Amino acid sequence: MEVLALVKLALDTGQLRMNESKVDIDATPLKISDIDRSAVEEAVRIKEKVGGRARVIAVLKYGPLPKRQQEAESLLREALAMGADEAYLIVDNALVNSDQLLTAKAIAATVKKLGNYDLIIAGEATIDGYTSQVGSRVAAELGIPVISFVRELRVEGNKVTAKRDLEDAIQTVEAQLPALVTVTREINVPRIPPLLQIRAAMKKPINKLSLADLGISMKSLAEIVNIAPIQVKRKGVIIKDGTVDEKVDKLTQALIQEGLITPR
Amino acid sequence: MNMTKVLVIGSINDTGLIGLAQKVGNPEIHYLVLGTGDTSQLGKYGVTKAYLLTAQVDETSFAETLIGVINSNNYSVVIAPASKFFKTAIPISAQKLLAPVIVDVLDLKQSDSAFEVTYNGVGNRAQVTVKVSDKVFLIAPPARFKPSEKATTVSTESLQPKVVTGVKVVSTEEKPKGKVRIEDAELIVSVGRGFKKQEDLKLAFELAEVLGAEVGCSRPIAADLKWLSEDHWVGLSGHKVRPKLYMAIGISGQPQHLAGMMEAKTVVVINSDPNAPFFKNCDYGVVEDLYKFVPALTKKLREILKK
Ligand SMILES: Cc1cc2nc3c(=O)[nH]c(=O)nc-3n(C[C@H](O)[C@H](O)[C@H](O)COP(=O)(O)OP(=O)(O)OC[C@H]3O[C@@H](n4cnc5c(N)ncnc54)[C@H](O)[C@@H]3O)c2cc1C
Repeated sequence: MEVLALVKLALDTGQLRMNESKVDIDATPLKISDIDRSAVEEAVRIKEKVGGRARVIAVLKYGPLPKRQQEAESLLREALAMGADEAYLIVDNALVNSDQLLTAKAIAATVKKLGNYDLIIAGEATIDGYTSQVGSRVAAELGIPVISFVRELRVEGNKVTAKRDLEDAIQTVEAQLPALVTVTREINVPRIPPLLQIRAAMKKPINKLSLADLGISMKSLAEIVNIAPIQVKRKGVIIKDGTVDEKVDKLTQALIQEGLITPR
Repeated sequence: MNMTKVLVIGSINDTGLIGLAQKVGNPEIHYLVLGTGDTSQLGKYGVTKAYLLTAQVDETSFAETLIGVINSNNYSVVIAPASKFFKTAIPISAQKLLAPVIVDVLDLKQSDSAFEVTYNGVGNRAQVTVKVSDKVFLIAPPARFKPSEKATTVSTESLQPKVVTGVKVVSTEEKPKGKVRIEDAELIVSVGRGFKKQEDLKLAFELAEVLGAEVGCSRPIAADLKWLSEDHWVGLSGHKVRPKLYMAIGISGQPQHLAGMMEAKTVVVINSDPNAPFFKNCDYGVVEDLYKFVPALTKKLREILKK
């Protein structure tokens, strides 16, 4: 089985560098988007069960590229340490802050370049963009079925069966391979690789590709004109000393002062 | 300014997105109704044409059907409600029509043929504005917008879906439905994985009852453990709340949770770990074991409020 996992090297929104007027994207560290860890985990589990290969594909979306490439490679090492066999990193200035149309074109072109594949696994959404677009777009580009929001996945022979987690229902669906699924974070608990595997990952290949390598010459159609931070100032009063009852008293006093409760 | 053709998609009762369509410079608004309904009522908001798609179709079939509609009438802006169905279907259409999709849209301005679209981005921590020209797809919650009234007559056309086989639905199991409208709650007591067992949530429910609050929760409580129905779920992938008081108990305060309760006026955090990230984003933070603190707080509030 040839399984591909799509991995976003996302802005670590928990460590966003920002002040009142500016979000400093360039200075914000990246991390593997949480749900994409589940995508890698699921790909590796399928490989372990039925044999074959699990490879990961990532598109670098944030600049400055000279600085980011190193960061991207060490993040991809994490996926390789989890058990992926090989990584493909698409790096091109035209992809920095580009729209998902171009991202999907780049991913689909990479998939085609790799040749045979059976299953592509992506996260349901990423922690930074949170638009849920890329999986469906890649499937559309490749002309294969897409099954989104999957929380249980079974691959048997040439068929995939999935439980989709929708707003009002759990839907069970089937499709023939090749297909693309997007998974929710509830599908599994991503493993934490042991040191030995982390070392072994250093030897696994990370292949770099540019848009020219992929034969793509198109530009992003959406251009970012402004990013205005949403910031909330909080009082930050920490109640940590004293007995439980003393803490209760301090908090209830505060609630009364804030006008949230009125003693009777 | 020339007329800009806008297509809004939704059920007959969910017409809020027409409000977003009306922000287009000089719009000619058409509406694609999913399901059934009296299309003449859309004329109240300036809609001149309605498509009726009564057949139930999957996302891929809908995407193909939509491409047909868009190609036949060359819409510049296509607007769909935020739901998992459309978050799957719309990108398929957009990829094939070479167009961007902007999700969680807040506002739109048009100048000549370009659109400036503002949306919640960067993990809901920023409002991002992008410029797009030509064709664009927008996704937003209908309740965010309110259409203004402008009477017109509506012509109606029935749509035959273009059915694509590929994904076969084997079975559908309805989820238990809750009754909570957490988005509207004034006071919220919210629970996270700090609670060790489902039965222990009664501590939070007792506290909520004394306060007259609704109970909210973090994602794992609803999505993973299923201790509460999804209408309680607060966060980036859950409900966005804006209460006067948000009391987070046994919740660590990951950015995806914070994204749902940023607009709360006063935030109280109860967590046994002094290093929990939520303490950096609270007005009052109590470092204590919830199993000791919550019963004591409930008792004290009962006395104060004479309940
Ligand atoms: C794309 C994406 C979307 C997401 N959307 C959401 C979302 O909408 N909403 C959401 O909530 N999460 C969301 N998440 C998940 C989020 O990242 C966190 O995993 C989640 O919020 C953690 O839930 P928690 O705080 O309940 O659990 P944990 O992070 O496990 O925290 C439990 C907390 O309880 C404390 N605790 C333990 N025992 C006690 C005790 N006895 N007394 C007091 N405190 C105690 C611990 O110190 C800890 O801080 C999303 C994640 C991703 C990747």
